Amino acid sequence: MIFQIENVLIFGTVQGSVLALLALGFSLVYGVGGVLNLGHGAFYLITCYVFYITSRVLFINLIISIILSLIIAISVGGVIYLALIKPLQGSHIGVVIVTFAFAVFMQEFVKVIAGIKPHYISPFIFGSIEFLGVTFPIQFIFVIIGSLILVSLIGLFISKTKIGKSIRAVSQDREAALLMGINADRILMITIMISALLAGMAAILYAPTSAITVDMGWGFLLSAFAVTVFGGMGSTSGCVLGAFIMGYAKTFCSVFISPTLATVFPLLVIVVMLLVRPQGLLGKKEV
Amino acid sequence: MPKKIRRKLSDAVSGSKNFFLGIPRATRNLYKEIPHQVKSFKEWIFTFRGSLTILCIIGTILIPLITMDDYITTILISFLIFSIFAASWDLLAGFTGQTSFGHSVFFGVGAYVAAAFVKMAGLPWFFSMIIGAVVAVLVGLIVGIPCLRLKGPYLALGTMAFSLILFNLFMSGELKDILGSTEGISGLPAMSEDLIITFLYILIIMIISFVILIIIIKSNIGTIFKAIRDDESAADASGINTTKYKLIAFMISGFFAGIAGSLFSLNSRAVNPSVFLALYSFYAIVMVALGGLATISGSVLGAFVYWVILNELFKPLGMWGTVFLFFPTLISAIILVIMIRFAEQGILKPALEHLREFYDFLLGR
Amino acid sequence: MGVILEVKNLTKKFGGLTAVNDFSFEIQRGEFIGLIGPNGAGKTTVFNLISGFEKPNAGSIRFDGMDITGLKPFQIVNLGLVRTFQLVRSFHYMSVLDNVSVACLSPRGKKAAEKVGIDQYASRILSEVGLIDKARFPPVILPHGDLRRLEIGKAAGTNPQILLLDEPFSGLSYEEQEHIHALIRRLSNEGVTIFITGHVLRELMNLVPRVIAMHQGKVITDGPPQEVANHKLVLEAYLGRGGVFA
Repeated sequence: MIFQIENVLIFGTVQGSVLALLALGFSLVYGVGGVLNLGHGAFYLITCYVFYITSRVLFINLIISIILSLIIAISVGGVIYLALIKPLQGSHIGVVIVTFAFAVFMQEFVKVIAGIKPHYISPFIFGSIEFLGVTFPIQFIFVIIGSLILVSLIGLFISKTKIGKSIRAVSQDREAALLMGINADRILMITIMISALLAGMAAILYAPTSAITVDMGWGFLLSAFAVTVFGGMGSTSGCVLGAFIMGYAKTFCSVFISPTLATVFPLLVIVVMLLVRPQGLLGKKEV
Repeated sequence: MPKKIRRKLSDAVSGSKNFFLGIPRATRNLYKEIPHQVKSFKEWIFTFRGSLTILCIIGTILIPLITMDDYITTILISFLIFSIFAASWDLLAGFTGQTSFGHSVFFGVGAYVAAAFVKMAGLPWFFSMIIGAVVAVLVGLIVGIPCLRLKGPYLALGTMAFSLILFNLFMSGELKDILGSTEGISGLPAMSEDLIITFLYILIIMIISFVILIIIIKSNIGTIFKAIRDDESAADASGINTTKYKLIAFMISGFFAGIAGSLFSLNSRAVNPSVFLALYSFYAIVMVALGGLATISGSVLGAFVYWVILNELFKPLGMWGTVFLFFPTLISAIILVIMIRFAEQGILKPALEHLREFYDFLLGR
Repeated sequence: MGVILEVKNLTKKFGGLTAVNDFSFEIQRGEFIGLIGPNGAGKTTVFNLISGFEKPNAGSIRFDGMDITGLKPFQIVNLGLVRTFQLVRSFHYMSVLDNVSVACLSPRGKKAAEKVGIDQYASRILSEVGLIDKARFPPVILPHGDLRRLEIGKAAGTNPQILLLDEPFSGLSYEEQEHIHALIRRLSNEGVTIFITGHVLRELMNLVPRVIAMHQGKVITDGPPQEVANHKLVLEAYLGRGGVFA
């Protein structure tokens, strides 16, 4: 009983790290293109399965299979932008429907390739570790550190590099950015690829800790959406903050109240936030 | 052809812009119009759309009666059920502009409630179906109220969140005693001894549902729905209580989706949490996009293409491996993208136009 | 007679910008009145505040003796205060007739249309505004002048007591302007109170007997158009202050 708070602390941090990676990409894409990408969960899904197939079926070297899965995730992101999102940018609902179709397509495609049974990916290093009296797999350390590094890298990328600055410019005022000679379409494509990369990294870090199933994408999509709504649409810091709050709250629910409530929790957050404070925790009010 | 009939025919055809199913476009009080509809039903049969509809219905009835094949009847039954489901989505999304991605909520609630009432209370299927639909209406209210403020993509994801909430609740092991967990409810009695009779019941319910839906969209409420879809604040400026009418749309749509869900579980005699999956919402969207958004009758064509043509195309391949069973959905995802990108009006309207030319040619006009 | 619309100390801030600042005026029943001001003076914001599309930060609006501050737009419309939009907002995928029918289907419009039936009533309005021969067309194919008439027809469908017309002449040819002029005059003669904005003085000059001039969210002056046009502050607002301090 006494270790339960420690449990919440550690498992919550892991959850928060994964959510931060997922939500950051989702929120960036929304900020830059005004696109709610329902295929975001599918990025996670395909990376998981490519990783599974390369590492467990084809027995390719771990590092190479990681790189391979990430490359595939990024290129799928690029293709999705060029084939689906770009032609339909005018209609928000059109984009939502085609990305939804993409997510369903990927789910069915994975069913065809790998079947509907759950699969398991082996962690980078087997074994577990004890910290604060809680035993947990070593993979969790990879998740936390990997997420920390990636989130700070993305933060640096956005604030320091030229492309990052363009991303910020486009998300603040698309028209003005266009007048400044920024190719907003290219920036959106890059942002979607970054979001695919982040979702893919989340998959590679987190998937080895549990089974992978064909319908896992939806849960992650809605978690990302919940965090984004919670932290404010298009607000990077709100997103990371929201992810960790959500992670701790979810684990708290799961440990102290009920696991069912924990799975439903992010969804309830969506509903409540949309009702009470649609602009999110740190977001600006939309007119 | 006698001159009199001929003139009547051409009058009916040319007047068909103002009349559909024999119902004048502006019906102030629906109940007052019913005698009028019956009177003009005879005329309507001779219009292009009327004769086509009757022909389709007769064809649908005859196929199972002639073949007496249970397999074909089963396929037709799922086609009928899902056409109601698609039409209910069309009313909400196509006519009122509330693009819900959580339509499986209504479907699933209808399915579960109807199954529960048949299994636990031993009610006849018809009453259970009505109860299922009424509960789905209440759920429509519960979903509708928080989603009223949302527009476009937000609404899509907000409604989707509801379907995932219900899926997780019904899957949950903790609530197994109440909601049945993964096993759901099974072992329901069949709707009737004979599959053909079941088929006819469902056909009648489907026809009645479509008639009601079409009356609704041709009535004043339908005009208001379309106004909300086209420009919500302009509707507001025209003195329309948009909140009220959006809720009404959610409730009507919930009712018919609930009927479809109830029929689904009653017909398959079992139900499990997968009815809440996003996949079922996807089915509705694909079928409507195929048939054409904001047409209601397009849903029938969409459901036919999906459940009869696409599904059956890949069934024979099923013996080489179960993977082929996933192909219809896979391909329909591609079709959906193609429809949205290149053929937003669906296939019903162009198909009707071509048929119409042929029809006029047959009449020698 | 009597006061139909009374606006008191209306204030609206957007962030740091005060779009409408302590704005007060009264309109008598049956009056025909204009609101002028250069671009960005806050005319449309005043309309948005009165018709309930935006909530004021301070101040009150009384319509027909009733406080309507903070009511929803459709509630205000059903009391009889109706506005049109500067950028015409029609229901694109519906016929012109149905566009007007929607207004006739609002509770207030329905009451007026009860005797003759919605469709009849809507077609009558269409013939009034001169669009009856285009009743079956979708509004997207109509020219700009027809859209403006449709906008007025839609407003008329709700049977208004007072009509707020937001820049009904902008972007129209001279001939089209004449049409709208005649239409508005007819409405006014039928007893509808008309409140109309414009940023070009000349357009309103011959039309209205009384004008309110506003600049930077404030009332400058209020009176007959001749007086207003020659008012020092109005000239300043339109031509800039240079001349005054030189």
